[in-house]
Amino acid sequence: MCNACGNPAVPGHWTEAGAATPGDRLRARFHRAGLLDKVLRPYGLTAHDGGVVPGIQLSTLSGNQSILPDLTAVWAEAERLLGRPIDPLDPAFLNDD
Amino acid sequence: MTTDFADGRMRLTILGGYLGSGKTTWLRHQLHVGSFGDVHVIVNEAAETGVDDVLLKSAKGLTLLAGGCSCCTGRQDLITALRTLCDQQSRDARDAPRLQRIVLETSGLADPAAILAAIQGDPVVVNHIVIDQTIVVVDALHGLAQLQTEPLGRRQIGAADRLIISKGDAVAATDLTLLRATLRALNPSAAQSAAILGAPQPLADLPEDAQAQPLPPLSDEDTRGAIFPTRITIDPEIDWSAFALWLSALLHARGNDLVRVKGVLPTPAGRLLLQTVRKVVQSPEILPVQANQTEDGTIVFLGRGFGPEDLQKSLRKFTRSRPSP
Repeated sequence: MCNACGNPAVPGHWTEAGAATPGDRLRARFHRAGLLDKVLRPYGLTAHDGGVVPGIQLSTLSGNQSILPDLTAVWAEAERLLGRPIDPLDPAFLNDD
Repeated sequence: MTTDFADGRMRLTILGGYLGSGKTTWLRHQLHVGSFGDVHVIVNEAAETGVDDVLLKSAKGLTLLAGGCSCCTGRQDLITALRTLCDQQSRDARDAPRLQRIVLETSGLADPAAILAAIQGDPVVVNHIVIDQTIVVVDALHGLAQLQTEPLGRRQIGAADRLIISKGDAVAATDLTLLRATLRALNPSAAQSAAILGAPQPLADLPEDAQAQPLPPLSDEDTRGAIFPTRITIDPEIDWSAFALWLSALLHARGNDLVRVKGVLPTPAGRLLLQTVRKVVQSPEILPVQANQTEDGTIVFLGRGFGPEDLQKSLRKFTRSRPSP
């Protein structure tokens, strides 16, 4: 653990499982950030992971930014910003064909 | 079970079960026959004075946590005890024999899910200890009656990886089948076995059509309805990142309604065993290739507050609207 920034505090978030080498991990981070960004855009949020900052950067369209260590923290921050959680079982999402 | 684990972390088994279900009896026998190998046992008792520690002398090391259930009031004591073990482990010489396994015997009032959350949430402990499995002992004599009235009894069943039915010799075969079918309805992903005073008792295969005992809704369950199991199938070509995104969002939004998620997923790195209890996800594990992989690609969700088709539909929509990797 880095004693300046505390990263990484735990041995990898579960969503990062399955990538063994540092190269794979970095590729997976880029890929995940791309997917996350597509999910968040309709809610007025954007996600970015450049591989440099240790974490996912979540921004509102007005430029408010936070750096979050993992997806669990991303969903919690999104809920705080939106006032409700992003729910994959939301009937509005399920029935939007 | 004496081989070193590749990541050097200790394996923790949580042993739970309702008051008087036979946890200590079972553990005592396992220690006697050595099925856990060299093991450190942590016993938690909700009462002020411990009795169980006297019965478990044959463990390599023993910690007694008395006077507080480790899922609530005694949680800090549990974390302290685990940290002490981690600390000893780090101080040992490199070639000294290392402790591999810890068994935590919870008090009969503990909710295993809360303990899991406490352990996963501690930054020191999580680096040294991996939770291996949750074993829950069910009393064949009183199990059904407890499930009728006790929400805690149902939560314990829901959190289990392995269910051990104790005192099976004290009930009729039909009652045992009824209990097993009820347990299967509550937690279809848990393996069932039986033991009498800790010694394994052979169990016949449970007939597919065995009827479960209908369980009444309990007063502290809310209006979201009863917990029911849903199976969803996973496309072998699924993008793991998209799946993880979906599941993490789902757990955040619906974690309190999703009592348990368990399944084996195909990923680029191999077969991944995934399991969660409420909002807590256990470290995913890559499983060795086995001959019998028929269950791969099926995930069981135990939860409530959604329709039976909703999960599969949500996953399909979530992963379809994303670009392929």
